Amino acid sequence: MASRAASTSNAQSWFLHRITGTFLIFMLITHFWVQHYDQQTATISHDVLSTEQIENDVLPGYTPEAEAAVEARFGETAEVTPHDVVMLRLADPVYAVLWKAFNILFLIVALHHGFYGLNNVMSDYIRNPMARKTAKVLSWSLALVLFVVGTYSVLVAGW
Amino acid sequence: MTLNVEIKRYNPEKDDAPHWESYEVPADPLDSALALLLHVKWHIDGTLSLRKSCAHGVCGSDAMQINGENKLACSVLVQDLVDSDGATVKFAPLPAAPVIKDLVIDQSRFFEKYREVKPWLINDNPAPEKERKQSPAEHEIIEEATKCIMCGACTHACPSTWASPDYLGPAAMLKAYRYTFDTRDDGEGERLDTVDSENGLWKCYTIFNCNEACPKDIDITRWLSALKRRSAVTA
Repeated sequence: MASRAASTSNAQSWFLHRITGTFLIFMLITHFWVQHYDQQTATISHDVLSTEQIENDVLPGYTPEAEAAVEARFGETAEVTPHDVVMLRLADPVYAVLWKAFNILFLIVALHHGFYGLNNVMSDYIRNPMARKTAKVLSWSLALVLFVVGTYSVLVAGW
Repeated sequence: MTLNVEIKRYNPEKDDAPHWESYEVPADPLDSALALLLHVKWHIDGTLSLRKSCAHGVCGSDAMQINGENKLACSVLVQDLVDSDGATVKFAPLPAAPVIKDLVIDQSRFFEKYREVKPWLINDNPAPEKERKQSPAEHEIIEEATKCIMCGACTHACPSTWASPDYLGPAAMLKAYRYTFDTRDDGEGERLDTVDSENGLWKCYTIFNCNEACPKDIDITRWLSALKRRSAVTA
């Protein structure tokens, strides 16, 4: 293996793109399962409507336990919304740290994967080297802003 | 059978832009596509320009777009292109290259990229008395890549080439693989520095157009992936 002029190399970004892509497969499945389908991992879960209920125009609601938990935290008049349920999970005394860590990692992985891909597309279509560099700096700055906002949101949620 | 042969013609001294012209050509299903073009040139319109030399899939000079796909005209049979009398076969120059005339493209950019990857043996050690030896197992690693005939079908089938004229392209990078993985070669560092760049490996999005186009059935994407891995571990 020969030594290389690493400063010009783009290999690490490409390698990270592969790694984050692999991570995203599992993290997206976990994310969708926990947010939308799970009955166990989340502290609170959605009601699942039966065919008869759907035919009778019953709207999806939460279990009495979910409503009780939300009211206990946000007051008697609180309505149970998906946002409240997510907040409850992120306030869980046992699992909150785990979910926050998962969400922040998910955020980093998704941002790197997405913005590396976006930069590939931009470098395909932007011919002018100066414009290309500007687009690159702007896009990664946006990624940084999204990372800060996202991490802050995850950290303070439920706490 | 008689075929309707459509050729994208362009004469820079007369035409403002390329245009399609049609010719009725008698053909046998076992004729090569090149035979259709030669019939046009020899019997209908002698002004048609095309490159061809060996006509047997060795020299690689007659790569062109046939019915929308990059192929070697001498290596594809009429029966594999059309199945009925009166059917249309369309010939156009390879895409994403300046056209000199009719089906002849300007290959200078293609070969500039080829030279960029230093497609020769780099080894400063004094040559042994007879030859630099390589075991069959060592040769096996690069065997398939050595079959490239530099026809350009792959590079001009690649959307990254279409998007970016500076992109090295699969043909040049396959050559980089061929020498980088040659056990007799010491030029890995400088060659990887060339392919591990903005216009190199990372613009390969692994869409396999090069594999589809290669008349020698080289698994180009596979070898470029090996080159990517080597770049990643040495960067």
